[in-house]
Amino acid sequence: MRSPNDSEETGETAKTAESFSGSAISAPSAVSSFRWLLAKEYRELVASRAWWVLLLAMGPLVGVTFISAVRTYGEASGLNGTTAGVGEAFSPLIGIWAPTFSACEVAAVFLLPFVAIRLVSGDRQSGALKIEMQHPMPAFVRIAAKAIVLLGAWLTASLAPLGAALLWRSYGGSIYPPELMTVVLGHVLNAGLTIALASAAAALTEHPSTAAILTLSVTVGTWILNFIAAVQGGIWERLAGYTPPAMVAQFQHGLIRMDVVVVTLALVIAGLAFAAIWLRLGVSVRRRVQESMALAAVAVLAVVSGGAARPSWDLSENRMNSFPEADEQALGRIRAPLGIEVHLAPEDPRRADLDRKAIAKLRRVLPALHVQYVSATSIGLFEQNAPHYGEIWYELGGKKEMSRATTAESALETIYDLAGVKPPIENDDVFRGHPLAVAPKGAAAVFYGIWPALVVVSAFFIRRRQV
Amino acid sequence: MFQARNLTKRYGRLTALSDVSFSVRPGEVLGLIGPNGSGKTTLFECLGGVLPLDAGSLVQHGRPMSDRARASTLFYLPDSIVPWPEQSVRWAIDFTLGFFHGRVSLREEVVQRLDIGPLLDATIGSLSKGQRKRALLAIGLLMPQPMLLADEPFDGLDLRQSRDVAETLRSYASAGRTMFLSIHQIKDAARVCDRFVLISGGSIRGEGTFEQLASQAASRGATTGDLEEVFLALT
Repeated sequence: MRSPNDSEETGETAKTAESFSGSAISAPSAVSSFRWLLAKEYRELVASRAWWVLLLAMGPLVGVTFISAVRTYGEASGLNGTTAGVGEAFSPLIGIWAPTFSACEVAAVFLLPFVAIRLVSGDRQSGALKIEMQHPMPAFVRIAAKAIVLLGAWLTASLAPLGAALLWRSYGGSIYPPELMTVVLGHVLNAGLTIALASAAAALTEHPSTAAILTLSVTVGTWILNFIAAVQGGIWERLAGYTPPAMVAQFQHGLIRMDVVVVTLALVIAGLAFAAIWLRLGVSVRRRVQESMALAAVAVLAVVSGGAARPSWDLSENRMNSFPEADEQALGRIRAPLGIEVHLAPEDPRRADLDRKAIAKLRRVLPALHVQYVSATSIGLFEQNAPHYGEIWYELGGKKEMSRATTAESALETIYDLAGVKPPIENDDVFRGHPLAVAPKGAAAVFYGIWPALVVVSAFFIRRRQV
Repeated sequence: MFQARNLTKRYGRLTALSDVSFSVRPGEVLGLIGPNGSGKTTLFECLGGVLPLDAGSLVQHGRPMSDRARASTLFYLPDSIVPWPEQSVRWAIDFTLGFFHGRVSLREEVVQRLDIGPLLDATIGSLSKGQRKRALLAIGLLMPQPMLLADEPFDGLDLRQSRDVAETLRSYASAGRTMFLSIHQIKDAARVCDRFVLISGGSIRGEGTFEQLASQAASRGATTGDLEEVFLALT
């Protein structure tokens, strides 16, 4: 048998003898370790084919939507769109940015989850997690490093739609930065939700394919929720307002709602925290379940309290989410609570019209607004002859008034009448939009040729340099 | 260095570790010897903190070790892993050195001793089992913790490489590093270890130097010519 003294010591090992004999190492510098971790996550990202496929696909996806949007916008502009009242149709926000950035929505649902799952599951599959988790760094910090790199990856992929903005500008198109940035913010938050969800699924499951199925199941679940909300209304409608498609839709209309931002951020943090809990393989399953339940309780609390946040900012150039400023000032003087009872079924188009044109705008200026929907069926088709169906009752300061009109003007008129407020003088300064009849010149070359070529060349050189 | 006291681990109805107790002394090469399925890897994963224990604790200086104390005392090198498969060996070593604040001054020496210089630019995923084992051992030796737990450090190595690795491990143990090696090849264990922990069926069947274990086996009437015979007598 060998004894510790049998082996030959090199000069260097002898020198290091003292340093080995200590009982414990000092805690590594957290910042330095985190930098190394970020670098490692970046290298793992660029080593993954999923990431390059996402990047490659973004070009054609954006190309299809942008070219189609510019053509439609140009056709409508060629039909003389300068008449007042059609301004909304010639707002680049609705005509160009919403459809162009919808490519991001597709990528966030069908491509980004696989990139995120690859980054989280990869460590588990390869066994790297067993090494990395021996660092005393908290698991949330480790998952945060992955989330930061994935967010950076998403911003890189967002260069494709931002390239579309440059092209639009080169055509002479109008860009209103606040509304464009609002759309970008919406898609970044949406990507954050996807990253958090995919990370949680990857941490919870043993295999990446299970994580992918779980992530897509949740996504399909939100679609089902939207469907139920459209049919049932009520609490379902409220919940559906925080699903990714509904959240993105708000931003695509140039509206930043504090409640949507807070709820989204709460869900992102909860998803990452959940992933962190389940990446701690050295903790018993029972304890991880208990921690998950506690996290769920905190998340629900954050979502409920965040959902009550009122502030919102309409950053669309044409103030499409707001009443005219004079009306908002007049409404601001009404202190009494306003009740609205709407006798329209969830799927009745008049209800959607009323919601979009009047109620959504009223919510932004009247803090004490209570809306109640009354209907016996979901589609309302067989309720048309029922008594009161189609009626919209407004109640303010003990007075009630009924209207059947679903326009913003009608709603305002009724409210002013009930409040005894003199309607403000109409302002003739109407948003006329930015019509532009132009062909999407060069866009096909950029998105179907140059972008994919750049991605392929970058992938080749970056991956080669890495090894 | 620390004592393991009554470690127990169950997978459902199967008890993988049952009241496992032993001690680890500073600067020694301790061998965990046991047949396949005896609970060696489970024990190492529990010690390394990558698998939760159902009962028992690690005790240092008479007090239970916290997770942080364990993380700063021992580094566990798992078997059969291919970490960061698309990264080069050079980068993996640099990363672990930077991430764990490892012993940078030993880098060149360890690379030379384990003969992984020619592998530095190869990706970890492209290495053979033996090459990967040596690359991962290099990482383990460069970690700052005073104790290294290596699961099957000779698995995949040929005879010459096994001898070289054994010599390297001994060398660092002589320099003060404590080694706890899980080994199923008894000849390898006999070549490198100072003391042994024998495990079978999730229970400890003996702990001590060869002489102590041989004496224990002899008391049961067994022949004790070498470690293999001692092992068979006690397990």
